[in-house]
Formats: sequence, C-alpha cells, structure tokens
Amino acid sequence: MSLAEQSNAVIHHEDDNVAIAVRPVGAGEAVVVKAEERVRAAEDVDAGHKIALCSIASGGMVYRYGEPIIEATGAIEAGAWVHIHNTKPIPGDVEM
Amino acid sequence: MTFLGYQRENGTVGVRNHLLVLASVSCANGVVEAIGRELPEAVAVTQGYGCGYGPEDFRVSHRTLTGLVDHPNVGAALIIGLGCELMKAEFLSREVEGKPVEALVIQESGGSQATTEKGLAIARKLQQELEAVERAAVPVSELTVGLQCGGSDALSGVTANPAVGAAADRFVGAGATVVLAETTEMIGTAHILKRRGATSEIGEQVERLVNEHHAHVVAQLGDLAGMVIAPGNVEGGLSSITEKSLGAITKGGTTPLQEVIEYGARPSKRGFVIMDTPGYDIDSMAGIAAGGAQLMLFTTGRGSVAGFPAVPVVKISSNSRIFEKMPGDMDLNAGAVIDEGKTIDEVGQEIYDLALEVAAGRHTCAERNRSAPFNYLKQGPSF
Repeated sequence: MSLAEQSNAVIHHEDDNVAIAVRPVGAGEAVVVKAEERVRAAEDVDAGHKIALCSIASGGMVYRYGEPIIEATGAIEAGAWVHIHNTKPIPGDVEM
Repeated sequence: MTFLGYQRENGTVGVRNHLLVLASVSCANGVVEAIGRELPEAVAVTQGYGCGYGPEDFRVSHRTLTGLVDHPNVGAALIIGLGCELMKAEFLSREVEGKPVEALVIQESGGSQATTEKGLAIARKLQQELEAVERAAVPVSELTVGLQCGGSDALSGVTANPAVGAAADRFVGAGATVVLAETTEMIGTAHILKRRGATSEIGEQVERLVNEHHAHVVAQLGDLAGMVIAPGNVEGGLSSITEKSLGAITKGGTTPLQEVIEYGARPSKRGFVIMDTPGYDIDSMAGIAAGGAQLMLFTTGRGSVAGFPAVPVVKISSNSRIFEKMPGDMDLNAGAVIDEGKTIDEVGQEIYDLALEVAAGRHTCAERNRSAPFNYLKQGPSF
C-alpha cells in the first residue's frame, strides 16, 4: 500500500509536535503519519497546514524540522489546526 | 564522472553554447530586441539599468553583467551600447577573454538601424560558428548548480526542497559546487547555518550575514517587516519566517558550508556555498548566474514559471496539483513523495539524474517557453 493510501500527514523530525497535512483532513478524521495514527483532527485542516500532534500550552513552542518555529498564543488542543490565528513568531523572528 | 558539455578556455565547462546579445544600458534595448527578432537562436538580453546610478550599484551591475558575458554557457557575445552611458559596452567586452566578444555602440555606428544591421551580420556569423562546435566529455565536478525556490507553498519544505537537498548532496559528493542563496529566506536560521560552517570563521560569517540582513529588513520595513513572507505562503500554511526559512535551507543538503560569497561573485571553493542574494527570484537568479552557475534547480509550490537567459532552470513542483495544472512549465514532480509513495531520497536521485541530462543538452520547460526574465540587484536610487 502506498504512503498516499496509508498516511495523510508528514513530519520531518522526531521532535516535531505538529504534522503537515498532505491533503485536506476533516474534523474527526485520523491523522496518520507513516501509516501510524497519531491523533484525531479536532477541526478541518487544509493541505499544507499544521495539525497539533499533542496539546501545546499557551506560550509553548511549536517544533518543526526539530527546531522551534512559532509560539502558541493560547492553549492548543491535540488535533487542532495550528497557524497564525493561535500562534505568533518566536522572539527575535520577524513579526507578521 | 563526466557529461557531454563544452570545455571553455578558462577551464570552466558549459552546458550550453549560446550567443549572448546584451544591452549594456536600457537605451540599447531596442537594437538588442531587433537583433533577437531576426535571429531567435541568439539569447537576446535587455535590461532596466546601465546608467543613472551611483558607484555601488555600478560595481554590482558591472560584476553581474561581466559574469554573464564570461558565463560558461556563453560561447560568444555581442554587446550593444548607446555611447554616453555609465556602463559602456567596452567595460563589459574588454575584460572577457577566451571567447569572441564584440561590441557595437549605437552613437558611433550610425544610429539604431545601422547598428542593428551591423549587429545582425556579426551575430549570424558567431551563431554559425557556435553551432558547429560539438559536445565533449567534461567533468561533473566543474558544475556549479544554483538552488532557488519561488512561489513556495507549505509543501515546498516537505517535498521539493528536501529532495533538492538530496540532489545537492550528490553533486557535492561528485566534487561539484552547489549555491544556496536568498538571504531573506535564511532569516531565523542563522544559528542552524552557523553549525554547518566548515570552519568556525565561516560559521560566524554566515551568522553575521543573516543577522545583518534581518536587521536591514526590520530597519527598512518596520511594522511591515512581516511582508517578507509573500501572502501566498501564509495561505499555503506557513506561519512564520523561521518556519519558511527552515523549509528553504533544506535545499542546501547536509554537507558543511565551505564559503559565504557576495552577490554575483564566483565561488572559490567547491561544495556547499551560500551567496548573499535577495529573496526576489529574478534578482537572485541573476546573482547566481553571474557567479557561474551553469544550471539551476528551482522549486515551486504555487507555480513559478521563470527561467533565466542562457542558463537552464529545472522547475520542480512541490505538489502534483501544480504539476498537472501547469504541465508545460514543470520539469519534475516532487509531489510524488505524497501521491506515489516515493521517498525524498528517490526523488533527489531523479532530480540529480535529470539535472545531468539537462547539462548534456535536454531542454527544460522554461527553455522551450523562452521564459527568461532578466533583472539584477540595484539598491541605491536613480539619479
């Protein structure tokens, strides 16, 4: 079975706490990374967008490629869509 | 390891054997365009500058334009100047050796029409001579491969860029050089690139480059500094410049950083190097080409179609949708990582293999489309 049939999201590094949807994921759908279900999507997430693999506390770091990329501006539940509406750039990064 | 290319007298190798017809100043564009219309096989390059600027812009444009004339893919060149411009045609023709370079000045040749006629006679002769030259086996290690991304989406950092990184590692393994650029897209990753320096001095250089550029962006744009992320990237799912930059620098692969060079400069070391260019694709490609890159690997998620004059640009889509929607513009689909279960390494090998075919003469989509926008870095005002 191809990756496409098994998985709907990818991660780059084992420290990552978000996965990237590679096709639209519907609310309630399993988020499957390398044929393994990691979490259920809490809401609809577009392809290319991030899904939290676990809960992230307000002020907590979002990790991708094994590095912090953004900071949560409120508590983020596991399976939530993670983007500019619930995060902000890390200190020292360019503000949006 | 070799491929079929063109050996140049100065030791470099070309993947093409083009006749370049170049305007030294935009006033000469009309004549260059007229020559290009009559002789479509020539690479006719017009430009937006060449006069009305200060010494620093003159210096950068001189380096960039000379780099094009001296480019390994250019077998011969004809420079058209006006006569009263700052960037006189002779400044571009007199420094380049090892290939025929002629110059015509409109004000000294009897005006536009007479210059066009004289230019066509020269160009036709040069083009005929170039077409008679055959390819020969030349070393892959003489290649400099430019790495570029444009119109990125969130998948660029998932599929195409890591795959290009895998290809970059293969080129470095073969003794060749790969050039990562677009300093804007390194903002937020200075600490990561520093670790990649082959020496601590190189690490400090790249950290300084990225941090100074970051400060420059903030000083220039203030509250609007976030605009360095194009709107398309946000809609595609990227949430910060650090995130985007991490996804961008992965194009450079995993080998140590050998050198940090300025815009349009030629690398003096082999392997993975970083050139200081803007994120703006068109200016960036001009700097990379001026540094002698014979081909470029260009990833895109939203559908960049830009190539570059005389330099083949291999377009790699990050997703299958764009590969299917714009089939005449995309050379390879890294979206296969998602839709066909291919690994990053497999696609990296495909990119490497395709790049070597392109080096040996296979045309890219951008070459077939004659998509070759040309502009270069100008930072000061016009006077």
